[in-house]
Amino acid sequence: MKRLSRGLRTLADCAPIANAKAPDRRMRTAVSRAKRIEGFGAQQSFDRAVAKLVQATPVSPEIQEWFANEKMAEGAKRNWRKTALHPAILAIGIALAVIAVVAWIKFDEQMHAFPGTATAKKLLNVAAMTRPSELEPMQTEAGTLNDLFFMKYRLEHYDVPPEFSQQRTIGVRVFDDDEAGQVAQISLAEKRMQLFLFPARRDSKTGQPEEFEGWRYIEQEGWTGAVKARKGILFMAAVRGTKKDLAPYLAVCELQPARC
Amino acid sequence: MFTRAVGFDHISWRRYLHRPNSLLPVVSVAAQNLPQLYRFCFLMTGEASKAQDIFQDTLREAAFLAANGEPPADRCWFFREARWRCLDVVAHGVQPEHGASELTEVSPQASEQIEHDVVARGVQPEHGASELTEVSPQAPEQIEQLEPEQLAIWISAAPEPQRSALALYYLDEFNYREMMSMLGLKLNELSRAIASGRREFQAWLNATVPAAAPE
Repeated sequence: MKRLSRGLRTLADCAPIANAKAPDRRMRTAVSRAKRIEGFGAQQSFDRAVAKLVQATPVSPEIQEWFANEKMAEGAKRNWRKTALHPAILAIGIALAVIAVVAWIKFDEQMHAFPGTATAKKLLNVAAMTRPSELEPMQTEAGTLNDLFFMKYRLEHYDVPPEFSQQRTIGVRVFDDDEAGQVAQISLAEKRMQLFLFPARRDSKTGQPEEFEGWRYIEQEGWTGAVKARKGILFMAAVRGTKKDLAPYLAVCELQPARC
Repeated sequence: MFTRAVGFDHISWRRYLHRPNSLLPVVSVAAQNLPQLYRFCFLMTGEASKAQDIFQDTLREAAFLAANGEPPADRCWFFREARWRCLDVVAHGVQPEHGASELTEVSPQASEQIEHDVVARGVQPEHGASELTEVSPQAPEQIEQLEPEQLAIWISAAPEPQRSALALYYLDEFNYREMMSMLGLKLNELSRAIASGRREFQAWLNATVPAAAPE
């Protein structure tokens, strides 16, 4: 077997003794090539003779009793239920389920994301933590505050959308945020709702504000925000509750087009 | 010790095994594998009594697992389990359970030959000498003159993992992948064990059973 490559020679040394089919293609190749080499025939004869001697091993009558019981050796495979309940399979299944859920949540978040999502979520936290005493008392209609923002703070286009313009306010403030820039915060009497106006994120290449169509919802820690972009300013109405609590306000324009 | 641990006695577990519709059908060894399992034990230990006891202990363990709803997954389990038991018995000289089991009858000539082999320590030739011994074309005739017990003693005297590799290989029951898996060897290690075993056995044959001179 000197002409065989090392790999094939290694395989040929373990070649099947009987004429049983080799388990894989590599072994078949090794056997087929080894047959052309002097010495492999002697090896096979040797192996067959030893295997024959092994098969001639006497078996005591007591041991032979075991062989008579074929029922014992019929074999039964694990059913699918038992396989599925195996701890390893179960652990893998649970892990895959968790991964799938997390992936779905992330995917869902990405689907509903809009430019300024991160800032809006941050302002939802602000809404949750703001005390009424932190705001300057202001009892008026929300729609009139755009003049105040422009005159006092030089904030242009900080307009409250028509859906919320007739709501009564109880307080207002303007503050600087690292991420959001200048933020106008309005507290409403109804449902302790809070409105935020802040600059939209700007595209790094063009410098233009990134806007989107319609209302987008975000949720965080029991608070829900409905966000809309207009003229480079994002408006967010935040309420402690779910989308259902905000939906009636957003439907005003559909129900009463004259107001909008 | 095992029987006490699992609450079986020699009678009851055998009855259990032979009971119709017993749980043992889960044992996935084909009927023809059981003699092979015994032969494997015999090759590993070189003694019929030890082989018989290890064979029975292994099947009892399988029955116990089956009764607990965790039947052995495949036939390799039996050989793996039997191998560890054989190694334990051979390494520590432990007498397996059921020492009362009967010995397989061996012909007087074979017994004398075996005793001679053991006393003379001629079962395994020196490594250096055997490396150069190639397999002879007359080997089949030489092997025909041997008794299975002589082969078993020779294999059982081989060092690990060569002993297990030769025992599994000459059972002609498993392919090389299964052997690698059962023995935890790489292909080149398995190949080396078998090839060197072949040459060493040939060297021993030449010393023990000289080949007839070619006519």
